[in-house]
Amino acid sequence: MNGLILTSLGLPLLGFILIFLSSTNEKKIAAISFWCSHAMGFSIIALLVLWALGGYQNHEYQWLTLYETDDYSFPLLFYLDRVGAAFLFCTWAIFSIIVKYCRVYLHREAGYKRFFLTIFSFVFGLNLVILSGSIDILFAGWEIVGIASFLLIAFYRHRVQPIRNALRAYTIYRFCDIGLLLGSWMSHMMFHESQHFSQLADLFNNPSMPPAGYGSLLLVSTLILIAASGKSAQFPFCFWLPRAMEGPTPSSAIFYGALSVHLGVFLLLRTTPIWSYHYLTRASVFIIGLLTVIVANISEKTQSNIKGKIAYSSITQVGFMFMELALGLETLVLVHFLGNAFLRCYQLLVSPSIVVHLLRVEGSADADFYIQNNAKFQFLPASLRNTLPEVLQNTLYVFSLQEGNLELLVRSILWTPLKGIGAFINKTNPWLKLLFSVTSLAIIASIIIVSGATLKYLALPVSVFMVLASLSAFSQKHSPFSVWNAIGLSSTLAGVAIWFINPSALFDVIIFASGIIPAWALGIVVLAKLLKNNNFTQDPFTYRAFSETQPKLSLLLFLSFLGLVGFPISPAFLGEDLLLSHASSHDPWFALPITIAFVINGIAAARVFQRLCLGRPLEVNIPEIDILT
Amino acid sequence: MVYRDCAQQTIETSNQKLQNHDFNLDTALANIAHWLPAQGPIKDFIHHNTLHAVQHHPFHEGIAIAAKIFGARSYLPLTDYQNMFHQGRITRSAIDWAIEHSGGTPFEQDNFRNTLFEDDNTGHYPPTSLANHGIRTTWLTQLEIDLNAMVHPILFRLLGNFLDQGISRWNLSKTGEHFWKCIVRLAQNSLLPLYPFNDAAVHDLLSKKPEDVILYCLDKIVGDEQLYEQYLLEMLLAHPGWSGIVHVIEQKPNMLLARREISLKEMIAVECAIELAFLHKKKGEYFKSIAATPHKKGISLLKSTHLKPTIPLHLRIWHEAMEWSLHSELLLALKTLPSANKKRLTTPKAQALFCIDDRECSLRRHLEEINPAIETFGAAGFFGIDFFYQGLDDAYPVAQCPNIITPKHLIKESNSASHSGDKTKPKKLTHMHFTAHSMFRGWLYTQTLGIGYAVKMAWDVFRPGSKLPNIRALSEVEHHSHLHLLRESDELTPDGFLLGFSYTEMADRLSGLFRNIGLTDNFSPLIVIVAHGSSSVNNPHFAAYDCGACSGKPGAPNARAFAWMANHKAVRAILREQGIDIPHETRFIAALHNTSRDEITYFDPHLLEQSPVPNLPAFEESMSTALQRNAKERSRWFELAPKSESIETTHAHVKERATSIFEPRPEYNHSNNLYAIVGRRQLTRDLFMDRRAFLHSYDPTTDELGDIMARILSAVIPVCGGINLEYLFSRIDNSVYGAGTKLPHNVIGLLGVANGVEGDLRTGLPAQMIEVHQPARLLIVIEQSCDIVDKTIAKIGALKEWLDNEWIRVVTCHPDSHELFLYSAKGWEAIKLPKDSKAPVATSSLDIIAGQTQTIPVHQFIRSHA
Repeated sequence: MNGLILTSLGLPLLGFILIFLSSTNEKKIAAISFWCSHAMGFSIIALLVLWALGGYQNHEYQWLTLYETDDYSFPLLFYLDRVGAAFLFCTWAIFSIIVKYCRVYLHREAGYKRFFLTIFSFVFGLNLVILSGSIDILFAGWEIVGIASFLLIAFYRHRVQPIRNALRAYTIYRFCDIGLLLGSWMSHMMFHESQHFSQLADLFNNPSMPPAGYGSLLLVSTLILIAASGKSAQFPFCFWLPRAMEGPTPSSAIFYGALSVHLGVFLLLRTTPIWSYHYLTRASVFIIGLLTVIVANISEKTQSNIKGKIAYSSITQVGFMFMELALGLETLVLVHFLGNAFLRCYQLLVSPSIVVHLLRVEGSADADFYIQNNAKFQFLPASLRNTLPEVLQNTLYVFSLQEGNLELLVRSILWTPLKGIGAFINKTNPWLKLLFSVTSLAIIASIIIVSGATLKYLALPVSVFMVLASLSAFSQKHSPFSVWNAIGLSSTLAGVAIWFINPSALFDVIIFASGIIPAWALGIVVLAKLLKNNNFTQDPFTYRAFSETQPKLSLLLFLSFLGLVGFPISPAFLGEDLLLSHASSHDPWFALPITIAFVINGIAAARVFQRLCLGRPLEVNIPEIDILT
Repeated sequence: MVYRDCAQQTIETSNQKLQNHDFNLDTALANIAHWLPAQGPIKDFIHHNTLHAVQHHPFHEGIAIAAKIFGARSYLPLTDYQNMFHQGRITRSAIDWAIEHSGGTPFEQDNFRNTLFEDDNTGHYPPTSLANHGIRTTWLTQLEIDLNAMVHPILFRLLGNFLDQGISRWNLSKTGEHFWKCIVRLAQNSLLPLYPFNDAAVHDLLSKKPEDVILYCLDKIVGDEQLYEQYLLEMLLAHPGWSGIVHVIEQKPNMLLARREISLKEMIAVECAIELAFLHKKKGEYFKSIAATPHKKGISLLKSTHLKPTIPLHLRIWHEAMEWSLHSELLLALKTLPSANKKRLTTPKAQALFCIDDRECSLRRHLEEINPAIETFGAAGFFGIDFFYQGLDDAYPVAQCPNIITPKHLIKESNSASHSGDKTKPKKLTHMHFTAHSMFRGWLYTQTLGIGYAVKMAWDVFRPGSKLPNIRALSEVEHHSHLHLLRESDELTPDGFLLGFSYTEMADRLSGLFRNIGLTDNFSPLIVIVAHGSSSVNNPHFAAYDCGACSGKPGAPNARAFAWMANHKAVRAILREQGIDIPHETRFIAALHNTSRDEITYFDPHLLEQSPVPNLPAFEESMSTALQRNAKERSRWFELAPKSESIETTHAHVKERATSIFEPRPEYNHSNNLYAIVGRRQLTRDLFMDRRAFLHSYDPTTDELGDIMARILSAVIPVCGGINLEYLFSRIDNSVYGAGTKLPHNVIGLLGVANGVEGDLRTGLPAQMIEVHQPARLLIVIEQSCDIVDKTIAKIGALKEWLDNEWIRVVTCHPDSHELFLYSAKGWEAIKLPKDSKAPVATSSLDIIAGQTQTIPVHQFIRSHA
């Protein structure tokens, strides 16, 4: 059974690697994906059968420990229970259908290889999330799913709009990673060694002695809830899901119709003991679900495009799932999840048929073609419906049209202030900045020396600089080098701060740096090569399409980007976790700035990648020799 | 077409404009509007020249101007042409021909000869253009605002919801309400602010008239009257799809099922107001206008690009050489064809009348190959009968004729069986996933039925084609229905139509068609009228797969109407008076050829049962073999088709394609269309033309004044020329002139498709329809002498522009001597083909296509019986 867990995880990864190594020959890629998806299917089915024969026992498996010190360990931990089984089953069914579907659907498409690479990495990430035994592994999978999502939304990189929407979805993902990152840190702090999902339920079994205080439980629940609502497009993040429907239809179906959108539900199911312990958090899950249902349901009414309509229907149903979860109806949620996933997936796949359907089937003379009648307020009694003041009708329409204004809300609360600060920093003279940081450091250092306190308080200004550096990267638009340097600086400062806090953590800081520094350096080199004959400041806002004109360098830049954001292929991922664990064991306050910095760095780096590597190449100012005279 | 008038008007107005700098909004709008795509709602897809805006220029100049305006490629990449040369598809002699016709000095010509084969990687990407590099880029480069990114989603949402034809549950527009009024209503009379109209200054603007709003905003935003027109043009070209459809709807409001009152002016007013609001929000009330910001070098300006097209001459020569190579393949075969046998064959066993469509070209060849006793004819697929048609299950009537004709008659289908009137049919469970649900019903359905879709989805994906799709195609009528053709009273219907035809009107239409195709005697006992349509699933562009001569509908109603009329005694009596004597025993049968599945349906079987037609079984048998061979011939283009030799397997595969939800290429439609031949079948009967020819029958001996030819050309030029140029431009730059790949398309408001949720509508053809197309202009070969064709050309009016500006090429083939002459505005030029070359010969179609995956040159058949 343990072997089967590993093969279920390994086969998609194997598929990914094989496709990566293969040529762009369509037949070869199709054959690889066929065999890998089927082998994965067999392995999943065998796993589920074995598990069922074993009497549906919850199963945990610790493969090996990646890294261990006295008070820290990072085991590769896997876990299977009925929640995981339901999700795994669904993944298998939908993935094998989609692979078969895409074999023909994507035939002759430019980017055939890219597409299969991305969906294999997606499924690998998804299986990792589903089978994860601890929140750290789950986070690794979560990140992979996020990047795969980014790449698939931007699949048609010639057009500006998919690129923009890809970044939009990625920013929401990244923001919600704050929730998960801090959540994983808090679970380290609260449950120490026992962050196993398998033991979570036991921890809370003793009502007289909760494993943590009310406040910290509330906090960790809120963090988890943020992560879950971001990934599942729940209130107030509903708006990104319809806009993510930019890739080929089957990829939208598998991601946003079927699987990815339910990951929030999965996270909540996994962490039920934590957030259901108190009524307040339960109520907030319920309220988020309820608000989502209201907003999404009203927004769905005025979607004049079919994919947007399906997206909002899906969000509504996920909102219901949140409510059901809050009421403790776990089995119902699982049934609901399966139903919604399959239905939405199918709806999206056949969505191009809507014209034929409405005009030829609905439109056939049975008079129920709703093009003619205004269905608004049909739920009200007829007498009331007609007397309803127009202003209310208009208001409702505007609410629906603007999808509850959620995007504006999120943007004005989250991004605008951050951008403002960043822009201010970028405007200041660099010498002034240096002067300011040196003097403030000197002042604090002298205070420390005078008062005889430990060096540890130096971490305070350092972490402030770290966040400021991130913000500067975030709002820097004119020079990719400055962005990369600011990110590198910010990450380095994070290491320095930890070292101040805990001088014995030097080795762990080095692990972290061993991921960040090479990525940083690589990025700078690649950027310099890419922009050699290119005056960036002249047109900072054009998409430069280097992934088409310079594919190799672009791939390197992408790797550097992954390294900088602590993607689970780089030691920085482990390092990030280590830094957080040090923070938690010494100074919990430090977790917040470091997380904010990580998240913002990720967004800034993604934007540089997006500006440089995506877009449509253009022949500008080529002297035209053949001029007809 | 409507848009051509518009285009011609602009030449004059743009000349006037040069003298007069005062800005006049209406003139400017008229100038701008002709640049917009002229594609209507997707339910009826009408092929037209994508670049109708520059049709009054010579072809190469026109596309060069368009490239500078739209930012598109004008030709294929250089390497494509060079590869075609190495594969032998472009000949040396054609290159010489192209260079000779390039009009350069001998020195330049030598220069071209020497440099044609040099590598050049620069021509691959589109040039800088007004649409992408005009004055509106100032926002991004100078003020650092991505105005399009902010304005478009809001504008598209408002437009989409206003024009929506039935996807959203709540309608935005009230009956008869104008777009501007509607926006004003939402912005002024709602408790929630309509973003971004809540900006104070913009909110005040809303009480003004649209034209005043535009002028006010332009003053603030642009600031210089000379740049107004360019600014507006750039603004509209940033979203050509929506601008185009608004313009089309303004011109022809009837194109929508649910009428909407909208004009380009209102749309521009709304867009300008949104732009101003965002500029206020981002830059405050007093931002720098375009005129106040320093211009960057290299910004395209309307006037300069308009007047000075730059044509990449190497590519032009390569392109012409490719076209001439392909064209000469046919010309060579025609020239060396043995002179036509003057005597008509003895009365054939059966005759079949097909649509002019290039997809019928191969079917006709196979049919005649299998059974030489069958004679085939070709005519535009509405068979000369123009009407609006409303089938039993149709919510609205549709025009069944080319776009250029506006029919006056309405034909309704009625049910002859007894169970008529029972129209309320229960909602099918299989369609549940389409119906909009209320919130709680939705919850209930997903809980209960959702899992069932796993099975359905798996079934559809792993076992496609095992059942026919549930969606019946429009006009794939049931057997027992009856067309209400005979007019009983002269009263007009409420919509202003005549309900049905009188006998005289019927006879007029029939005799018109019979004379067009030269079938006035020698009627065989069985005449089958074969219309065509195409069935596909999961395909929003379905209308582009149907009959182009029926405005993108299957031609079945026309074929049925034709057969009914031609079988009617009263009609035959009138025809006899007009000199067309149809023998008593002759029977007309209507049929529908499904071009994607290669199947045929014969209509009105109950009539056949009552009085069987003796020759029909033999015809049906030949037809079914012909269809199988046709499927085999078609499937050589499908890379994923089984490679087996068996004709049955390939036919099964072709059928499967039409019912697979994951198959974006049910067929390749008009891909590789290249020739249109108007003449007797003897001329083309022994030619293999690789499904590339539109074939129209015509008898050159009966048309001394060129009137018949004028009638034929007035349908052939816009329909075939429109198809050809739409394929050509969609292939040359699929992302600008075409709709891009089909895979991410999202259906918006039943109006069209867009990429993603907030994208612009995509016009033109999707990549999956044109990817194998060789983009060459249409060659019309007319079997007639130059003198008569001159008379004809004098009679076709505005269509002459297509020929004079070389948007299509015309060659005459003398009926007796087969001498060939090429038309140009300067006169006829005798065509010299290389003396030593000969068209390849073969004995059967199947031999020719075996193992071929590319286009095949025209072959001559050597027939033992001939």
